[in-house]
Amino acid sequence: MTLPIALDAMGGDFAPVEIVAGARRAVDELGLSVILVGVPELLGDPLGLEVVACSEVIAMDDEPGAAVRKKKDSSLVRAAELVRDGKASAMVSAGNTGAAMASALLRMGRLPGVLRPCIGTPIPQPGRTPTLLVDAGANAECSPEMLVQFAQMASIYVEAHYGVANPKVGLLSIGEESSKGTPLVKETHRLLSELSSLNFVGNVEGRDLVPSPVDVVVTDGFTGNVALKTLEGGLKFVFSTVLGAIGTNEKTRAAGDVLMEYLLPIASELTPDRQGGAMLLGVEGICVISHGSSNATAIMNALRVASELDQADVVAKMRATIRPDQAV
Amino acid sequence: MSADTVAPLNRAAIVELVRDQLAEILEKSPSDIVEDQSFEDLGADSLALIELVEALEESLSTYAAGFHIDDEDLEGLVSVRDAVNYVAVKLQVA
Repeated sequence: MTLPIALDAMGGDFAPVEIVAGARRAVDELGLSVILVGVPELLGDPLGLEVVACSEVIAMDDEPGAAVRKKKDSSLVRAAELVRDGKASAMVSAGNTGAAMASALLRMGRLPGVLRPCIGTPIPQPGRTPTLLVDAGANAECSPEMLVQFAQMASIYVEAHYGVANPKVGLLSIGEESSKGTPLVKETHRLLSELSSLNFVGNVEGRDLVPSPVDVVVTDGFTGNVALKTLEGGLKFVFSTVLGAIGTNEKTRAAGDVLMEYLLPIASELTPDRQGGAMLLGVEGICVISHGSSNATAIMNALRVASELDQADVVAKMRATIRPDQAV
Repeated sequence: MSADTVAPLNRAAIVELVRDQLAEILEKSPSDIVEDQSFEDLGADSLALIELVEALEESLSTYAAGFHIDDEDLEGLVSVRDAVNYVAVKLQVA
């Protein structure tokens, strides 16, 4: 029997209402099994879903490590414990990203041989499977060996989840030549080039995130987060500018009526809501971290992604690949 | 295991315990970790330190039930030696 997914009902800008609504939709529309983890007095109507009660909430601005240690009965920590204890197949949270990572790391534990877990964020690619950006913000400072592992884990993810055989891996830098970049990038380039088990195609640049010629873009968490937020902000700006231009006058509005039919599917394909969330790679369980501003649709999709990752046995595949005796 | 069946703890045993647990967290060999090293030099970030704290609390509760490292004290733990000394003082080990 498939285990339910533990959903942090208290995490996110629109929690708990949108979170619970997303869970209900995942049950009704996707046939998933979901357990809400939340504070009963704050949760409101659980819409008929099972609730695991807790008494604390980790706020978006709480310091992650300290919060996980102090708020042991929080929805985030309890959700991670349900996975650890074999009562849930995965956890999903739209709450404090750092705390979600700390909860998963401290409660589920790291996969053997993994130096540090990282965040893999799917970047939608029009007309094809997403490109996974690792690390999207878990580790501000990285070693070349960490980046190589991130690339290995991301490749397994892309292969198992999207069905991409032999995924292409690119290293984010400021030029295609191997001589370009920081000492970290250059040494990582050297290590990746020597690794025959990965399909490393060389350096990629910021402009290669969308559209991307690769399936995995690897970088340190600081650069990855800056790149991701820049992309998000840029796309948002372009969409709002186009919409603003369409609304200028009667003539542009008429043109907009015609164009919308073609623009809306593109916007829908590129919206983060559709991807559902990022996965924490390198821990002994599935932890999907959704955007803080997740609505019910985003939560439903995050639950779908968590279920798909469970079905694809992603964690077991990483465990089999990243072994201490194969440390880089 | 009950407290009266475990070997008595001395400073050398604490050093070994801290070193072993840190080595496991950082995927290093225990022999690569010496007391003088700072956590920063070892590449231990804040989450790795919290992993260490939780692992120490679990291991040392065998010697002192409910052994706890205060989060407020973490800022003062900069090196392996600091962590060893902290545990030794807390457990009143010579």
